Amino acid sequence: MPPPAPAERLSHAREDSPTEGMLMTTTASSARPARSHRNPFARASVGFVLPAMVLVAILLYIPFVYTTYLSFTEFSGLGTPEFIGWENYVTVFTDPTILRSLVNTAMWVVGTLVLPVGLGLLLAVLAHGIKGSAWYRLPFLLPYAISGVAVGLVWTFILQTDGALTEALRFFGLPGADARWLLDWPLNTFVMIVAATWQGAGVNALLFGIGLQSIPKEPIEAARIDGASGWNLFRYVTWPMLTPLTTVVIGLAIVGSLKTFDIVWAMTKGGPGRASETLALTMFKETFTEYKYGLGAALAVVLTIVTVTSALLYLRRQLAPAKEF
Amino acid sequence: MGQLIRKAVLIVLGALWLVPVYLMIVNAGKTNADYGLTSPWQPTSLGNLVENAASAWERGNLLEGVISTLIYAIVSPAVAAIIGAMAGFAIIALKLRHSFLWFTVIFSSTVFPIQMVLMPLFIGYVQLDLYDTRHGMVLLYTVISVPFSAFVMRNFFSGIAQQVFEAAVMDGASSWRIFWRIYVPMSFPALVAIFILQATFIWNDLLLGLTLTQSQENRPIVTLLSALQSTYGGSTMPVVLAGGLLVSLPTVILFLATQRSFTRGLALGQF
Repeated sequence: MPPPAPAERLSHAREDSPTEGMLMTTTASSARPARSHRNPFARASVGFVLPAMVLVAILLYIPFVYTTYLSFTEFSGLGTPEFIGWENYVTVFTDPTILRSLVNTAMWVVGTLVLPVGLGLLLAVLAHGIKGSAWYRLPFLLPYAISGVAVGLVWTFILQTDGALTEALRFFGLPGADARWLLDWPLNTFVMIVAATWQGAGVNALLFGIGLQSIPKEPIEAARIDGASGWNLFRYVTWPMLTPLTTVVIGLAIVGSLKTFDIVWAMTKGGPGRASETLALTMFKETFTEYKYGLGAALAVVLTIVTVTSALLYLRRQLAPAKEF
Repeated sequence: MGQLIRKAVLIVLGALWLVPVYLMIVNAGKTNADYGLTSPWQPTSLGNLVENAASAWERGNLLEGVISTLIYAIVSPAVAAIIGAMAGFAIIALKLRHSFLWFTVIFSSTVFPIQMVLMPLFIGYVQLDLYDTRHGMVLLYTVISVPFSAFVMRNFFSGIAQQVFEAAVMDGASSWRIFWRIYVPMSFPALVAIFILQATFIWNDLLLGLTLTQSQENRPIVTLLSALQSTYGGSTMPVVLAGGLLVSLPTVILFLATQRSFTRGLALGQF
């Protein structure tokens, strides 16, 4: 039998002679700041967290509460807000323009799950295990460093009437040469989702890549020996093991798509008319161009409720103590 | 064999991904007259690129935008990285009581859309004379970056053995000193990753700039680019595209130069 480890020896000593055990405990507690009862750094710890807390409280949480309050009022920025109950919320769900915006936002969510997330997964699977995979991923990550406005600018240019895309389609004799990409609904929302895919797919590929790397090799090998390969290997072995990470990526994608603003602002400004607005854009317009602060606030609240509900998907995982993927 | 096919698919898709970049560069280098006459796909000598960029620079008043945006994108993430690190230090090393609650409160503020605070911020900023000021923007960009920073730093610090802290306490160091002399130097890679990522986000911000600034000298650069696009799109497209290239260049260079930190920050930031 090997000699007992130090810890084991210590516990033996404790059992055998109470005095010696006591001695050990006292030295231990004086050597280490007592964790359970009195933390000598209790005051310091509050001091260290306070700057973050104060900033977030004043600039984010107080405005948050104020917006919630304003959503029950009619207010144009001048005078005092007038309480009108749920009226703004009724408007949100009856006004045709806002309903269209709700539909568009839903399209953005679904579209984002299919395109940037789906493509990101595909890219990650393709690049997984390839030598120099970081280089293969580079073109896809590059657009992520660019602002949404610049992305919108390039795609507006590509999609404009008689623009690069139309010309290419005509050259190859493909259908769609007559499409008015940014002028017709719902086509305009669809092509803007494509533009967002161009920007965002690389990040999802990167995250899925990290997930694939962290999957233990043994089950994959075992499945391979059992004859699984290709699609079956992915579907029944890899994919289930990727689930925790997929939850985070999907959650982030939903939340991100709900907040869509920049690309739409740059490509159509929500137009033509107000046909391609998203909730984030409608809120901005109602507030800062229509001066309907109460309605804008109600839109913000609705958007927040949907966003936070979707975020619960992954938030618990993020808030839990750090873990390595 | 499978590897070869996968590589081929990736290369084809990668090339496809670069097509918009190609179109942007080629057309940003044309004269306005050429632009009207040639196909957007037709490559040129790029002879007019510099001139177009200069024209965009002038028409868009980009100089002032660059200066203010540089201030925002450097000061705010640096301050936020430290404030976030302090919060992470309090939670992990100092064993802050109810730390889960504190952390949840700080971190959750990134979840709700910025629309939820936009209007009160606008009203408050106007009343406090912070509207359309550089220090007002620095303050807000800092606050926006703090939760992400706290999140990354908490995760980073939880990977450091508590014995490091305990040993320093035994040596009689104060918590303030331990933070600055041991934890900050040790977490340099994480701090850099936070800085790079947040600097990129701030440089690329549109919504806050649109809402809280008005004058050319305080407006962030992307807001100016957006205005340039609405004013000079159409026939002077090459100039606008050149402007877009110019505005995108700093973050693209930053990304290419710090790819490892950048991707690391992205990974750290999501989990």
